[in-house]
Amino acid sequence: MARRHPAESRGRHGRAESPVPDAAVCVRGLVKTFGDFTAVGGIDVDVPRGQVFGFLGPNGSGKTTTIRMLTGSVAPTAGHAWVLGEEVTAHPERVRSRIGYMSQKFSLFEDLTVAENLRFYASIHGLEREVFEQRRAWILRMAGLEGREDELTRNLSVGWRQRLALGTATIHSPELLFLDEPTSGVDPVARRRFWDLLYELAEQGITLFVTTHYMDEATHCNRLAFINAGTLIALGTPTELRDSFGPGATLEDVFVGLEEQSRREP
Amino acid sequence: MSGRRIRTLIWKEFTQLRRDPLLLRLLMIMPIVQLILFGYVVAADVRNLATAVVDLDRTATSRELVDAFRGSGYFTIVENPTSETALQPLLDTGVVKVGVVIPEGTQDRLLSGQVADIGIVVDGSDSQVSSVASGYATQIVARENLDRPARLGVSTVGPGIDARVRVVFNPTLDPINSMIPGLIAAILLISLSAIMSQAVVKERESGTLEQLFVTPIRPPEYIIGKVTPYAVLAIAQMTIIAAVGMLWFRVPFYGDVWVVGLGLGLFLLVCIGQGLLVSLMARTRAQAIQTTLFLMLPMIVLSGFIFPIASMPAVIQPLTYLIPLRYALDVLRASFIKGSGLADLALPLLALAGFAVVIFGSAVLATRRRITE
Amino acid sequence: MSGSLDRIGAVVVKEFRHLFRDPRAIGIVLLMPVFQLLVFAYAISFDVTHLPTILVDNDHTPASREYLRQYSGSTLFEVVGYSDTQAGVIDAFQANRAQVGVIVPAGFGRQLASGAEGEVAVLIDGSEPTSAKVAQAYTTGLNLAAGQEVALAWADRQGASVSGLGGLEPRLRTWYNPERRSAIFLIPGLMVVIIAIVTVQQTAVSLVRERDLGTAEQLAVSPLRRIELMLGKLLPWTGLAFVDVAAIVVLAVWLFGVPLRGDLAVLGAGAALFVFCCLGMGLVISAVAPSMEVANIASLLLAFLPTFLLSGFVFPLDQIPAVLQWISALFPARYMVAISRGVFLKGSGWDELWPQFAALAAYAALALAAASVLYSRRSR
Repeated sequence: MARRHPAESRGRHGRAESPVPDAAVCVRGLVKTFGDFTAVGGIDVDVPRGQVFGFLGPNGSGKTTTIRMLTGSVAPTAGHAWVLGEEVTAHPERVRSRIGYMSQKFSLFEDLTVAENLRFYASIHGLEREVFEQRRAWILRMAGLEGREDELTRNLSVGWRQRLALGTATIHSPELLFLDEPTSGVDPVARRRFWDLLYELAEQGITLFVTTHYMDEATHCNRLAFINAGTLIALGTPTELRDSFGPGATLEDVFVGLEEQSRREP
Repeated sequence: MSGRRIRTLIWKEFTQLRRDPLLLRLLMIMPIVQLILFGYVVAADVRNLATAVVDLDRTATSRELVDAFRGSGYFTIVENPTSETALQPLLDTGVVKVGVVIPEGTQDRLLSGQVADIGIVVDGSDSQVSSVASGYATQIVARENLDRPARLGVSTVGPGIDARVRVVFNPTLDPINSMIPGLIAAILLISLSAIMSQAVVKERESGTLEQLFVTPIRPPEYIIGKVTPYAVLAIAQMTIIAAVGMLWFRVPFYGDVWVVGLGLGLFLLVCIGQGLLVSLMARTRAQAIQTTLFLMLPMIVLSGFIFPIASMPAVIQPLTYLIPLRYALDVLRASFIKGSGLADLALPLLALAGFAVVIFGSAVLATRRRITE
Repeated sequence: MSGSLDRIGAVVVKEFRHLFRDPRAIGIVLLMPVFQLLVFAYAISFDVTHLPTILVDNDHTPASREYLRQYSGSTLFEVVGYSDTQAGVIDAFQANRAQVGVIVPAGFGRQLASGAEGEVAVLIDGSEPTSAKVAQAYTTGLNLAAGQEVALAWADRQGASVSGLGGLEPRLRTWYNPERRSAIFLIPGLMVVIIAIVTVQQTAVSLVRERDLGTAEQLAVSPLRRIELMLGKLLPWTGLAFVDVAAIVVLAVWLFGVPLRGDLAVLGAGAALFVFCCLGMGLVISAVAPSMEVANIASLLLAFLPTFLLSGFVFPLDQIPAVLQWISALFPARYMVAISRGVFLKGSGWDELWPQFAALAAYAALALAAASVLYSRRSR
């Protein structure tokens, strides 16, 4: 699996080149409407490589739709999105082998075993045998599932499934990982452990694009974006955001305050 | 298209099937149950109808007539009431389905050259029984009219029509010979569209579909991977039916294996396409199965699988051209029973090809759209 | 007790909410019976007409033309073509273009004129046995009648009388359904099939769905007693099934002119018992089935096929092998078909139908008890 440098493919097919070529994610005026309903109303975001980027917002604010546009599952109504230097709408398949995706449902095949799930995704991504053995060993250790390879996924408890889902999403060593509310319904201990794993991935140089509505998780991110009703209402590092809101403010205060503010002046 | 990805998808699908052994077992039992039910119930001949004879004449002529009924094999005389009024309760309670009334003085009337009426009462609440019973009863009386002069020593030499009515294919008129080839096609519709309808909607419900399309899998690869295991299952079911039909029910096969294969292959695509379409449109698995059932029943009834198209009202008959199963039945029955070849069956095969292109094609397009929307 | 009623009420409300949340499902439950009734009632019939027929006239005489005119003039046959040879007829059979072929060989006219028997051949394609049988009977009858006519005409020309022998004349009477309309015979049975399909499938799937969603566990720890949960689940479906029954009865009587000779109350009581049987069966399936797919296939095997084939709805039960007759006694549909047909067509009441009622009541009690036991074990 040769990794193509973004510069190679630029200009050959791309209609428009990314304004920030070496960003992991670059979004300009991205819009998605479903009939009369505007899910995402024109957002601009840049995520440099190697960052843990937090994408925050209340339920139904457009987080998931944005992620689905970035992974090429949904075509945007207007605007452009470049992921790892490739325009997603033009070449979704070029992007897909270089990104990972983990949804809030931990989409594993419940009637397959742990090992079978891993084998499936490895094979789909075309991993060589030695690479797979290596990745598999790492994932089993990382998820704490060593010795439980032959258990049906359905019988695992939520925390284990969450870590296995992370493992399958990263089995092909993606450069960028999208996580859509990866910790919903997981107990605090398992959540802490999960974030430790995410840091480990970040240290390996993987860019993480995470949506969440847990404020304690938001503080773990390098940079944050707040989205409400499809529009971006704030962007910055956790410290910047807290400071801009006044002394002693927590991220929770920022979040609630911004949401109320945007409701008053739509 | 990547062979490895397709193989992986197929392997995954089979592994999942293996995890539900009860489903697999049911899918293999189903053709057997259907064979037994359709073979013995639908293909049952109407014979030995419970009959009551009211012989008020009690002469040689009336006894001859009663013997003719008894000897025909279609009527079993179970009651001999002594009056016509006693017939009513027997029919009311369903003890007999047919009543034959020979009035007093029948022989005398015949001897004096007059026409004598024979009363035949059939239970019309069961219209299949009643139409068969009245047909046979009329024939028996007509035959009796023909035979009587000879018995009385009257010469029958003279003009007439010597009609040789001959059934050329399936001369025994055994219904099983047409039921089994039909069932081979019907089982495709019944089981394949029922399981296929669950295939995609199940993965959507669990979120794995979304996950799959963030990987390099392309829609055509997904469809091939999804469809192949179920097609293999369906082929296994058809093989069971064909084997049991030919070995146990001794159904003859005069046709060309390749023509049958072509017809079944095309119909397989139609069924898979239908299942996929339902699966893509439905939001839940329960909805998918309801829709399938909703479509399946009229298809079976209108295809001529159980009830001959020839017996449908003229207004309904054009509707049967919209049912793909109809053409599959045409191909299979004609091949099995009549040994019809490719040229004979060009029309139904073309119709099936058309349906396959339209239905399977739109299923592929819908998959692509559903995924990228 | 009032607490119990409240709890049952809560489950009923929840079930109805599920139903109405999904307008497509409710549409299917209410429209499907009407749709099926129309398709079945119009499409199923045993009156074969317009059999595609090929005529072969190698004689080309007025006599042969007159003989063949009897086929073109009958509604039973529809002349779709002419041929010169028997091979042409066989070809037409193989291409599914014709089902009957009538061949008049050369010399037919001469044979008749000389006072001999005219020879003709009728070929029938037996690959569709049901209509072939009818074709066989009709052509035999047609030729008997044609022969008699020829004989009479000949005798007339000879100045003799052949009517001196007299003859037997069948006087056919059809009771209960004098015009022998298939719809009248089918619809009372059809009602049973439709109720079975709608209710068994729905309940079989509904409980599995609950388990999939994990709410079964939730319900199991609530203060609901088993029987309350069962009743709560059953009542909405019973209500819907009765809407279906009412729709079918109204259509049957007004649109198809099916006579309702018996007591509507008897029919209603039978339908209620039958609905309970079906619901019980559906619940048993859903309690045993590990997955939705299994529940579907099982209800197809256990509810749909036996109801369709082993109830006497279309296929007479006394014509099938004894073993299958015993098996048919194990499914409730045959009792309900007997009740429905008895009430509609024969005006039967309790006196005639009590054995069927007893069987249905026993079945309903057994199925519901089994469902109750299995369900509680399952959710534990």
